[in-house]
Amino acid sequence: MTEMRLLQSARGEHGRTVKQKRIEPIMKENMRENIQQNGQTAQCACPIISSNDFSFYYGTTMGVKNITMNINPCSVTAIIGPSGCGKSTFIRSINRMNDLIPGVRTEGKLVVDGQNIYDKRVNLVNLRQQVGMVFQKPNPFPKSIFDNVAYGPRLQGITNRTALDEIIGKSLKASALWEEMKDNLKKSALALSGGQQQRLCIARALATRPRVLLMDEPCSALDPLATGKIEDLISQLKDNYTIVIVTHNMQQAARVSEMTAFFCLGELIEYDVTSKIFENPFNKKTEDYITGRFG
Amino acid sequence: MRPVIRIAIDKIFTVVAGASVVCLCLVLAGLLGPMLWRGGSAVVFKGTVEFRKMQLMLFGRGDEEKIAAESKQAEISRAKIYSTIEKLKGGVDSEALIDKARQIYRQFGNDLRQTDKPAEEVAELRLVTKQIRDRLESAFASSNTAEVNESLAYILSFKDDQRFKNTTAAGLIGLAEQYSKDVHGINLAERQKYYQELRQVEEILIELLGPAPGSATPALMMNRFGATRWDLAQKLFNRLFWYEEWVKQGPEQPLVRRLTPRSQRFAGTEIEGLFIYIQQSLPEMLKPRPTFYWQYFIDDSTPGHYFGGVGPEILGTLLLTLLAMLFVVPFGVISAAYLVECASDNLAIRIIRMSINTLAGVPSIVFGLFGLAFFVLFFLPMFGAPSKGCILAASLTLAVLTLPVMIRASEEAIRAVPQTYKEASLALGASRFRTFVKVTLPAALPGILTGIILSLSRVAGETAPVLFTGAVALGPLPKSIFDPTRTLSYGSYDMAVGDKLAAMVPHNQFGMVVTLVLLILCLNTAAIIIRSRVFRKLAGH
Repeated sequence: MTEMRLLQSARGEHGRTVKQKRIEPIMKENMRENIQQNGQTAQCACPIISSNDFSFYYGTTMGVKNITMNINPCSVTAIIGPSGCGKSTFIRSINRMNDLIPGVRTEGKLVVDGQNIYDKRVNLVNLRQQVGMVFQKPNPFPKSIFDNVAYGPRLQGITNRTALDEIIGKSLKASALWEEMKDNLKKSALALSGGQQQRLCIARALATRPRVLLMDEPCSALDPLATGKIEDLISQLKDNYTIVIVTHNMQQAARVSEMTAFFCLGELIEYDVTSKIFENPFNKKTEDYITGRFG
Repeated sequence: MRPVIRIAIDKIFTVVAGASVVCLCLVLAGLLGPMLWRGGSAVVFKGTVEFRKMQLMLFGRGDEEKIAAESKQAEISRAKIYSTIEKLKGGVDSEALIDKARQIYRQFGNDLRQTDKPAEEVAELRLVTKQIRDRLESAFASSNTAEVNESLAYILSFKDDQRFKNTTAAGLIGLAEQYSKDVHGINLAERQKYYQELRQVEEILIELLGPAPGSATPALMMNRFGATRWDLAQKLFNRLFWYEEWVKQGPEQPLVRRLTPRSQRFAGTEIEGLFIYIQQSLPEMLKPRPTFYWQYFIDDSTPGHYFGGVGPEILGTLLLTLLAMLFVVPFGVISAAYLVECASDNLAIRIIRMSINTLAGVPSIVFGLFGLAFFVLFFLPMFGAPSKGCILAASLTLAVLTLPVMIRASEEAIRAVPQTYKEASLALGASRFRTFVKVTLPAALPGILTGIILSLSRVAGETAPVLFTGAVALGPLPKSIFDPTRTLSYGSYDMAVGDKLAAMVPHNQFGMVVTLVLLILCLNTAAIIIRSRVFRKLAGH
């Protein structure tokens, strides 16, 4: 926890806007209380991600349809659903990674931090620095551990070695890699094990000091031990970051998330507090999926 | 299938595959072996005393005194050849003798004009001398022994004439005396034939032993030294020893080459025994010694590559190759990057892609003519440079030639970079350009280096593109990139289509080819080492 605080203070130092700094602690407490007391959908007053009738098309094929959901700051939201249901499409829309695919089109609004990200004036570079992403397969660059984590800060123009050292130390500590890695930061990232690589990717995403961390099935390529470590990490990180995680592993969703969304065939079927989804789902489809009858 | 059969098939496959690899190696060795052997003889061979003389005089190498002593020794054994030839020449070289007689007569006339003798006496002397000269000339030119003897007798009758004592005209009588001695034993009817064959012998001797002692330095560089190599000396000796003629065997029959010992053609003269003497004392006259001539790779050569090495050719090849690489690598990588990262799949791009593929298959001579038309005749004058073949034009032509190879290799390399790298970089907020420079390009570097290796080998060995755009067979070293240069590829081409002279020094041709192969090997090895280092760095070992 001390590390977390360090990280937070570091974020302050490196030019976070005053507004964000002010809002964060307030929201965190408000939201937690909301969720715990009401046990309800907890439509917090100021969601960090707010999707309003959002649809996404690959050419003429529909990716997701009319999604309306709010995601609260400093929470973990899990998105579950069968393959091809649009989970990944939705999560990748949040930092516009789908823009890489030619011929995509959106409808509706997707607001992150008060701004519609599909607005023409949005600066993609800023957006992606605010909304970090961890991919299904660990994908560290073929560079040293140090260079991997320093990639983001360097993009932001931080070249001062001491500043970089500080950020990298904090990011690695935050992703629970520091103890293993501190002596060989010069080592190639490709020489690490899969679990370590994935945590390195998380560290790399954290180094740009994002507000939101998107995780697209981060544990699907890892063994149970590494998965356990990542899950621990997620529960540590949620104090400071808004995490959206796509997962096929329902136990994992139940373990790490506070809120869970169930997608099916490009539509949001149910979005509620995790315990409710898993214990007492409102929709029949959700129940079928969770109990394994869905197929 | 039964396991036994499966195992048998597996084994057969292994054996066949192994055998084909072995076959390939054998073919390669069969091809490269003789070439290396012959090319190596440009560097390791038996050098003669002429070689050491040449090294001393052209490149200032070697111990001056030692070489002088050695060539003096050689000259002692050579002296017999020259004296014998000189003797026969006295009898058969009628033109030279007539020239000499005329010269003496003219001199005598000049002398007479300056004397204070009375006019009648002078006139009479002039008349008599003229008669003597005319008789002498007829004796020199005639092939009738009786006529010659008669003329000589007439001239020799003036031997004791007081009027000619201590005058220039006595030289005429001296000539007659010498001639009567020389002509003894020669079949005068054959004189013309002897004379011509003697000229042949002398020509070969110049090539074999260098210019005759006492004669002026020949204007042709290749005649200034004898055979520098023992194998060349033996070749020349065979030409000296055997007389080659083409004889007709009958009507409608092809000509057949017939070799007869040259001594037969000089039968009856003193030269007859000379050839055996040369055969016996050739090693003494040339003093062959095993030589390691590593300077072959740095030395300049005399025109026609008769002496010296391939230094300027290596330099030119390196210059052209590296300059071409300098042009082609940035262009190739940027084009490939555009095609992979930016270009959408529309008609224009498809046409461009097809053009690149077509260009890769265009014969290199077409690029040569393109280079001539575009770079030499159009591009260079546009910037005020002289419109002639030069290094710049040649390397640009080579760059165009290899651009498709480079683009294709880079394209494949860039395409092979995992999408996840790009995604990771973009997700961290990097722009597309930044992603390309910082992530894609380093990851594609091994593939791009492979492209560079392929282009490098192609560029270094190409002849046709540089034929019209900047390669020369002879000429000074280039001073700038606006001068033409010699190259290994063009050099070996030129020697292959060159004159008889090139055929005398085949070691040079093979030497150039082997040097080219070695050069490409060195460049490739360097590139491969760099690539493996990059690869290792990327893989994280």
